Formats: sequence, C-alpha cells, structure tokens
Amino acid sequence: MAIEIPKNLSELPTRQTRFVGRGIRRVEDAALLTGRVEFVDDVVLPRMLHCAILRSPFAHARITRVDTSAAEALEGVVAVVTGEDAKRWSFPAQSSPDGWGIHCIAGEKVHYVGEPVAAVAASNRRVAEDAAELIEVDYEPLDVVADPFVAMQSDSPRVLDDQDSNVMMDRIFTWGDVDGAFAAAPHVFNEKFRWNRLGANPTETFGCISEWDPMELNLTIHGSIQSPGMFGLGRAASFGLPSNKVNIISHPHGGSFGGKGGTRGCDISCLLSRKAGGRPVKWIEDRGEYLLSGGSQAWDRHYDVSLAVDADGVVTGLKVGLVDDLGATGEAYGAISAAKPLAAFTGPYTIPVAQYDLKLVATHKLPCGPYRGMGPPPHFFVLEQMMDIAARALGEDPAEFRRKNFIAPDAFPYTIPSGNEYDSGNYPEVLDQALALADYPALRAAQAEARAEGRLVGIGVASAIEPGVFDWNAYAIVGMPGTGVPEGATVSIDIVGMATVRVGFSLEGQGQYTLVSQLVADYFGYEPESVRVVHVDTQSAPPSFGPGGSRLGVAITGAVLGACERIREKMCRVVAVLMQTEPENIELMDGKFCLKGAPGAEMTVAEVAGTMLGRSDLLPPDIDPRPEATHVWTAPGRTPADEEGRAKSYLTAAQAVHVVQVEIDRDTGMVEIQRYCLADDCGTRLNPDTVEGQTEGSVVQGIGAALLEEYVYDADAQPLCTSFMDYLMPTVFDVPEIEKVAVVTPSPFTPLGAKGCGEGAIHTTPAAIMCAINDALSPLGTSAREVPAAPARLWKLIREANGGG
Amino acid sequence: MTTNREYTLRLKVNGDAYESRIDPRMNLADYLREELGLTATHVGCEHGVCGICNVLVDGRAVRSCLMLAAQAEGREVRTVEGLAEGGKLHPIQEAFIEEHGLQCGFCTGGFMMAVCELLENNASPSEEEIKDVVGGQICRCTGYNAIMRAAHNAAAKMGAGGSSAAE
Amino acid sequence: MKSAPFEYAAPSTIGDALQILAENDPDEVKLMAGGQSLMPLLNMRLARPELVLDLGRIADLDYIRETDAGVAIGAMTTKRAVEESDLIRQQHPLFWESTVAIGHPQIRNRGTVGGSMAQADPASEYPAAAIALDVEMVVQGASGERIIAAEDFFVTYLTTALEPGEILTEVRIPRLQPGTGWAFDEVARRHGDFAIVGAVATLALEGGVIRDPRLVIFGAADRALRLRAAEEAVAGRPVSDETFDGTAAPIAQAVEDPLSDVHASEEYRRHLAVVLGGRVLRVAASRAGGGE
Repeated sequence: MAIEIPKNLSELPTRQTRFVGRGIRRVEDAALLTGRVEFVDDVVLPRMLHCAILRSPFAHARITRVDTSAAEALEGVVAVVTGEDAKRWSFPAQSSPDGWGIHCIAGEKVHYVGEPVAAVAASNRRVAEDAAELIEVDYEPLDVVADPFVAMQSDSPRVLDDQDSNVMMDRIFTWGDVDGAFAAAPHVFNEKFRWNRLGANPTETFGCISEWDPMELNLTIHGSIQSPGMFGLGRAASFGLPSNKVNIISHPHGGSFGGKGGTRGCDISCLLSRKAGGRPVKWIEDRGEYLLSGGSQAWDRHYDVSLAVDADGVVTGLKVGLVDDLGATGEAYGAISAAKPLAAFTGPYTIPVAQYDLKLVATHKLPCGPYRGMGPPPHFFVLEQMMDIAARALGEDPAEFRRKNFIAPDAFPYTIPSGNEYDSGNYPEVLDQALALADYPALRAAQAEARAEGRLVGIGVASAIEPGVFDWNAYAIVGMPGTGVPEGATVSIDIVGMATVRVGFSLEGQGQYTLVSQLVADYFGYEPESVRVVHVDTQSAPPSFGPGGSRLGVAITGAVLGACERIREKMCRVVAVLMQTEPENIELMDGKFCLKGAPGAEMTVAEVAGTMLGRSDLLPPDIDPRPEATHVWTAPGRTPADEEGRAKSYLTAAQAVHVVQVEIDRDTGMVEIQRYCLADDCGTRLNPDTVEGQTEGSVVQGIGAALLEEYVYDADAQPLCTSFMDYLMPTVFDVPEIEKVAVVTPSPFTPLGAKGCGEGAIHTTPAAIMCAINDALSPLGTSAREVPAAPARLWKLIREANGGG
Repeated sequence: MTTNREYTLRLKVNGDAYESRIDPRMNLADYLREELGLTATHVGCEHGVCGICNVLVDGRAVRSCLMLAAQAEGREVRTVEGLAEGGKLHPIQEAFIEEHGLQCGFCTGGFMMAVCELLENNASPSEEEIKDVVGGQICRCTGYNAIMRAAHNAAAKMGAGGSSAAE
Repeated sequence: MKSAPFEYAAPSTIGDALQILAENDPDEVKLMAGGQSLMPLLNMRLARPELVLDLGRIADLDYIRETDAGVAIGAMTTKRAVEESDLIRQQHPLFWESTVAIGHPQIRNRGTVGGSMAQADPASEYPAAAIALDVEMVVQGASGERIIAAEDFFVTYLTTALEPGEILTEVRIPRLQPGTGWAFDEVARRHGDFAIVGAVATLALEGGVIRDPRLVIFGAADRALRLRAAEEAVAGRPVSDETFDGTAAPIAQAVEDPLSDVHASEEYRRHLAVVLGGRVLRVAASRAGGGE
C-alpha cells in the first residue's frame, strides 16, 4: 500500500503540533555536555594497536629505497606496512573522474607532500611515531607542477604516470544560444577571479579503529564517519571484499562539513590490522596530518566570467570558465564540487542561457575534497561580483538590479538552463525582508557620510540558492557513479509503549536526533525526551546515506514519518479488529486510536502495542504483530542527466539575501564587519532553533572563507599552512551580531514542506562580504578579485589605486 | 639531582587522588584520557591553538596539550567530568543547552572549562571579559554567538547562587 | 603529534637547576618555564631535547615585588599574575598592555614572563616592551649573577644573550618618569594571534616638545627593533603631524629585511611598521604630560 507522507504540519495526527516547527531542547545535549558520548578516540578495544603514518616530504619524487628494519625492531612495534603491502592487498582508490585514484600508500612515486609512504602499528601512539621516524626512505626528487595553467601544458611534468596529461576533464557545456545572447547584448562584462584553497577543519579530525578478521575475511571499522554506508562500500572496493563483509560502526563525531576525509588512513589501518594478525588498529589523524594531507582542502579555483546584459538591465547570458586545481588525484571527489553548480548555475535569476567551460586539472598538491556547500559558494562569489559589476556600470542600485532579475514567485517550479528545477520561493519578499531588517536606506546614508570623511565603508547585498536534498545525477558530468540516495528509519514501539528509532547515521551536530524525536513525539503523542534515537552499524541499519548535500533533515523526516504511517496503518487494523469495525473507522489523534463518532471508544498507542505483542493470538494471521516499521525515503521525481549534464537533481532550492556593511582600514587593509543582516527561505522550519544554529555557523564559516582561510602552497607545491598558527579560522572576535529574519515558502515536493538548509549561509556570505568590500573600494577605482580578502591583499590594492609604487 | 625516564606523578583529578608511573613526555590531555579514562577532555590540535582540551589546574583554565602531565604534580585538576554533580547538570551545562551553545559538542568542554574559570572568579563579568575568555577557543559549528549567550546565561545562573562548584 | 622521548627534571631551587644544567650538554637541554611555546615544538617533534628541565617548581621565582626603582618580577611569574597585579596595571601600564595582548587568558595562565623573554620570539610583545622600558634581565649562572640590559638581551630569532648554563631569574622594570606618555599597538590577523607587526613607544613632553622618545617595533625583523633614527626624527620637535610623519622614512629604512610569511609580505610589514610607529608615537604624545 502506498504510504502518504504528510506534506504539511496540519496533516500530522495531532490537533496542535507541540514540537515539530518549534525550537526545543536538544535530546543530544546532556550526554555531549557531560562527556558521556563516545567519540572514536574514546574507544579502547582489547589488544588494540595504534597507528602512525610516515608521509612524503616531497611533492613529486621517486622512491628508491624503503627500509623498515629499525622500526620493526623497536620495542612495542607489531606491524609495519609499505607501498608493497598496499599493492598486494588493496586496490587503487575509486575516483572521480574514473582512473585518477592511487593506492593508499605510495609505491614507486609520491605525488604530493604528505602522501603516506609507510605506517606502523605499535603499543601506543608515541611509540608508533618513534618507529615511523626510524623508517628510512630514499627519494629522488622529480619536477613539480603547482600551477594548473602550467600543468595543462603538454610539456608539464605529469602527475600520474599512467595518464596522458594532467587534464582530468576539459569540456564546454552550453545551455541555450549563448553566443547569440552575448552577440545581441549591449553590455557585456568580463572579469577574472581567484578563489584560494580552504577547507572544513572540523574540531575533531578523522579517526578509526579497523579490525581485519583473517579467518572470515570480515572487516569491522569504528570511526568518525559521516556517511557510513558509502564508506563501507568504498572499503569493500579498496579490498575487493563483498560489501556485506564490511561493517561500519560510526561514532558521534566532532563536526564534518563534508571534510572528514579519512578513507586513505582508514585503508592503511586496515592493512596494518591484517599484518598484525587481526588485532584492532586505531588511527587518529592528528591536526598536523589533517592540515597537511587530510580531507581538509577544497576549491582551488581560477575563474573567467562573462555576463551579458540587455538595455533594460536584464541579464541575458552567463559564461563561467573554471580551471579547477584538484590536486594530485581524483580520489577525494573534488570534481563533484565543480559539477554541483549545475544545480543552481544561474542563481536566483532568470538568466535564460548559460555556458560552463570546465577544466579539471591535476597538480602536485593534496587532492581536493568536499566542503560545506560542495562548490557553489565560489560560483556564487563570482556570479554576485558580476552582478555588482554590471549594476555599478549601469548606475543601478545592487539590490534593485537583483530584484529586476529575480525569478518571480509565480514562476515555480522553475527550470534553470543547466537543467535543475527549483521547487518554490519568494525572492522579492526575501529581499524586502533583508533590506528592511538592515534599514538599507539608512545604511546607504551612513555610508555617504563615511565616504565624505574619506572612510572606506561598503555595503554588500547578495543573494544565492542553496540546493537541497542532493541526488547523484547532479554529478553525472564528472562520471560520479551513484545509484540513488536512500534514507531509512526503523520505528519500534515496545510492549509498554515506548518508542525507539533506529537510524543509520551518528551524531554530527545538526540536531537530527532531536528532529527525529520531535516527529515521533508529535505523531504518537510522546514527549521528545522519551523517544530514544539510536544509531546502528551498517550491517543492521536501514539503508542510509546520512548527512550531506543539505538532505538529512528532509530525508529523515520522510523516513520517520513513513515508518510512523506504516505503524499507524497497522495499528488501525489491529484496533479495528478489537473494536469489531473497519480500519477506515479508526483514527489516530494525539496518541490515541479512536473509533470515529464514538467518544470514549479509544485505545492509547501503548495499549495497542501491548496488545499486539502480548496477545498476538487475538490478531488475524495476516497482521505482523510487531508495532514496528521501516521506511526508506528517496527524493521523488529525479531524472538522469542528459548529454549536457541537465537533470532534475537537487529536490529543493532554498534562497537567501544577505546585507553586509564593512569598513576597511586604509592603512592596514584590515576589514571590520560592522553589520550583518540576512533573510532566508528554507521552507518549513522543522526546528527553528537548529536551523538558526546551522545558519549562524555557516555565516561564520563564510566569514572565514572571505577574510581568513587559505591553504598556501609555494612554487614547489610545499604546503605552508600546516598548523592552526597559519590556517586561520574565525574566533568570537571575528564574528558580528548576525541579525536574521525568516521567510517561509513551504516546498510542495517534500515532507512537511521543509527545504534543505544544512549547508546554508556559506553559499551567500563570502559573496556578500566581497560585494561589501568592493563597494568600499569602489571610490578608489579598484576592486578585490581574490578570496580571501586578506589585509595584505587589500592594502596592496589600495596602495596601487592611490598610485603608490 | 636526578633526571627521569619514568616519572611518578601524584595529583588530584576531580577530587580523587591518583598516583601513576608515566612516561615524562606524556602531556596532561593524554594522561587524563589514556591513564585515567577521563575522555571528556577532547583533543583538537595538540599545539595549543584550539583550546578544546582546556582543563582547570588549581582553578585556572589551561590547555592540557600544552602541559606535561608531570607539571601537574601536586596540583588539583578539574575536567568536564567534574562539572555535573549528583546527577545534576552544572549551571554552565544547563546554560549551553538552553542557548543552543553547542552543535557537535566536541569543542564544548574547552569552552565550558574556560567559562567556568571566569565565573568562579567573577560573579558578574562584562561582555568584554566573557569575550576575552570565549575567544581562546575554536568552535567550527555554532558561530560563537550562541556560546556567548550561554556564558551570559551561566553567569546569571551562577550569580543567582546556582553554582555548587565555587570554592 | 606526540613528543619524542626525553628525560625530565623538575628541581625546586635555582641552585639545583643550575647544577643539572651544568651536568648536562647544554645543547641537549631545554629549559621549560610555562611551556606555552616549547610544548607545541615538542609535540611536533621540532624540538627534541634529551632533557627537559622544568623550572616551574622553583617557587622562589614566582613573585611581583615593588622596589625602589620600580618592580621586580620573578621569571616564573605567570602572565596572568602580571595581568591581575594592580601594581603593574597602575604603575607600569605599558607592560600591562603588552601582557594582555599576548595570546588568550588560557595561555597567559601558564605562560611566564621569563619564558617569553628567554624565548625571544621576534613577533612577541614582551621583548619590545622590555627594550622600550629599559628593563634589566637578571641572569644566574655557575659563576653567579649578572644583569643584561634588554636591548642587549635579544640577539636574533629565538636567541638571547644567555650563555649556556645560565638561567633568567628576574625581570626588573624601572618606574616610568612622571608624565611619560606611552602606547602599545599591534596588527594581527585575529585577536590573540602573534602580531604581524607591533609597536611600542614612550616619550616625555617638555613645553610641547618631545623629549626622550623610545620607539620599538616587533614582528618586523629577527628581533624587536629599537628605531633610533625615528626617535631622533621626533626628539626635540613639537607634537605635530609633520613631526610624526617624519618618522616614516627612518622607520622604513630601519626595517631593512622584514619577515615574509603566509600572512604578510616584506613590503606590507615594512608599511605596517611605518603606520604603527606613527600611531604609537601620536598616542604616547597624547598621554604625556599631565597623564592620560
């Protein structure tokens, strides 16, 4: 029987929702705050060993000798593995594009600084690190390429020997008559931009404990793993194991933001466990390893962008040229970040035609991976700068210029040139709310006064789309294999009526267990604290992808409500039997199954569950007596990509407008954010407090991106930011008050009308801050085209604009 | 005078006395976690920047990764495990829940111990005093404003006599 | 990120510490004060001593005492103790400002005055303040005690005038002459980070004319730099924009070979030295004379 998932709050079986749609205390917090949550580094297993990894100091070199004898002789060392073991016992990593993966430990060559060369398992981490230092490796340094434009030349050193060139992909995607639009446009603007490498840096790095069962060839892995199901499939591929031989036990983790990484180190710990006869081997990536060679780095991009605008100031075409430096291999799926902008290529605007000239290039740097937003944040940075450049040239206010080009509220569902469909929105209303919150006219008046005093005060108004509820089809252009994105939940009610929900993902910070408890509490009339939410390992869990691609809030809502619906339906049948009526006459309302039109004829959920489990003899034989159901939810109506990459991919499109005021110190180039206002529309807010939390955190990551965070490499591809002294993330001193207002346009396509919102503000914040900086610089006739806008960079622009030498 | 390859450490942690034979290179964070199993002290960077591993040593918040365990000889250490008493959350913990001052919760102990030091020595700290203390730690989830609210809330709670821990 | 093995000693008297130092190869010993600079180096295995000699248990080195000439601070006194000292805050405000600019409270709870001086980090606040204030470094060694002027103490990157076998035991800060103006400023990427460049200044005013100016910058060279040419450019001149603008050329010239790193180029550092040098002299002048 088809299950109908409630599309809005009023369809829930309660007269008044008490929890869903409200901010409530998180069920996760007490355990987190008292240290009773078991992060993976807290786990101690019998006979457990500790791993340390020896890493390459060279960006490109031939390995001529590896001598592990001194390490093996050190007291406390149990196993040492090298590239030979990796070659013998594992396969090269899967990659996107295909064929750009390498083994987890270097064999003949190293391809980037930090690539593993050998690893040790020992009695504790200190001894393991002592032993790793005793491994002797001889390198023969080779020519290095650190610049993607050099790497594209035919005579460049090649990063992978078995590839013909360093160009992983070189394709132009054209959606509509782009040449015609540009030829016809009275105004064409062109600019180049640079977005430097940055990354996730969750406060907990990756960690795992791997246990290779040498008899049964089972692999059991505990870890801080964002997507346990995917991770298990990856390990099965690494070791040629059937997928059902790999069991992943994901532990709560200290953030991820897509950048947990860890696959390579995990595979190494598996090799060590195998060599150590199956003893569990713990690898806790330390911060130095994370910064040097973890899942830390994303978006190393060179843009060349053109915008066509007609005589009325309507944008008629967009061309984006992107040279994306993905680093040495394709194994960390950095390419996905170049593909995802297709889900929102033209942003919130009606731009009818567009072109994407995409070059994915390999260099001798760390392979790029995912980070919150997965690629659109730099895309919106360049699109929004172009919008400002056009508005400024045409003498239009940047807010009104955007309004003129917004997709109209009655135009949804709206298909963009790159193929995705936006579900719903009210962009002019979001803009109005943001401008009202900021008192935009007053901001402009104050700016005029400040400018008269010679101060560099700027205001940015930027808008962006957050694609929500990801779908693999979005990444088809980079050859990403994928077969749908299921999310399942199992809801069980025990014999005394208490509910437990089993999910396939562990705590990561977004408050999803609270959301699950809110849903079940409102559905069956519980208190949220009484609903137990537990994570189970991959061999027992319902199908699950977990958090990622701004999907889990929507997806788990679908899964949990689906399971609740199934239980309700079954319980209605049971109650109908007991009350000697038909199931249609039974209705669930506020935790009670009632006989319609017969006040007082009712049973509580606990009574029904107790009867089902305690007196199954009373039930008809075709009713399974368990008050339990699993539902697996997937996004409806997704379509495969056509030859130009066009697909209905992401299910929802949240939208935001940010209004930012900054002041730049002329003498130092330091930027102060003086005002930060935003309005956003992510549909129904299932838990407004956690949505706000996601928004605030994402704004601050965006501030980091705009002003602070950058992985610098030198010309020899040596990384220069390998500690928190050099990789700078915002602290409380870098954060202004963030004023927020919500617009709610429920999605017609999702459970309860919610839209994906977990990645959130980072789509808009870097764009908005850079718009504000460039507004501040505009009286000088200069502008910033590079992110982050570090003080030294801005000072240089100011000095050059002032004619200084 | 002697030097040691092995060190006999005596200290108090959360009121309990311990004596351990340790490798002198072991830092206080590793000692608490590995030797005592007190894993609420999390390790974020091991070079003193992130502040996640903060503990109180003689009432002062310090980075436990920037202190040898041996340097805690004779000292009184307090960790997150020492905050809640008798099954009741500490007012700081209550405040973090009420203000959504945590998301993943990994860094929160570092913030709580820093705020704890402040509030046990200053019943009504100013915004700037709180910011100075909160500014020593990195949180990647919350964006800090919620942590600031939690610290203010905790100050109000403890100022109102809610603290059981003040000495 | 775990330290390489080392031996550990934690004497409780300066005599015992000197004896241990004498008995070991000085190149293989690291003195540990608060450890806030040394511990990261140990954890990253960038420092790999045979012996860590922990001075933290020498209770005799933890004090702040008012003296006839000013104040004497024991080398193992924490920065937090300095920060909380009314004596320092009221009578040595430049030293106090320099103290609270260092790191974060959780770092200042462990980091010591002597540790920072002996570390001689070129981007550190204390050496600059010490030079500007004519601080005296009291040093003990096998042959007894000697005193080194701050300006002679800081030699180059992480290097002081301490001889092998010597330990810094006390920092003596002379009292500022009444009416002395002072200022401290720095530019860092984030609050609490090491400064990209910082500057401190002291000066007196006599009938509107600048006397005895001191200008020291840090973060711009291999050590805190006293800028004598810039001092001369303002000495004996009236308080005016023209006077202070006149420091730009001598400051830029004095910063011959600035540091360059991921946060700041050489030219940006040189520029910041000029900007901050001018700023602190202006502020110091505004505070000179009848107080702040």
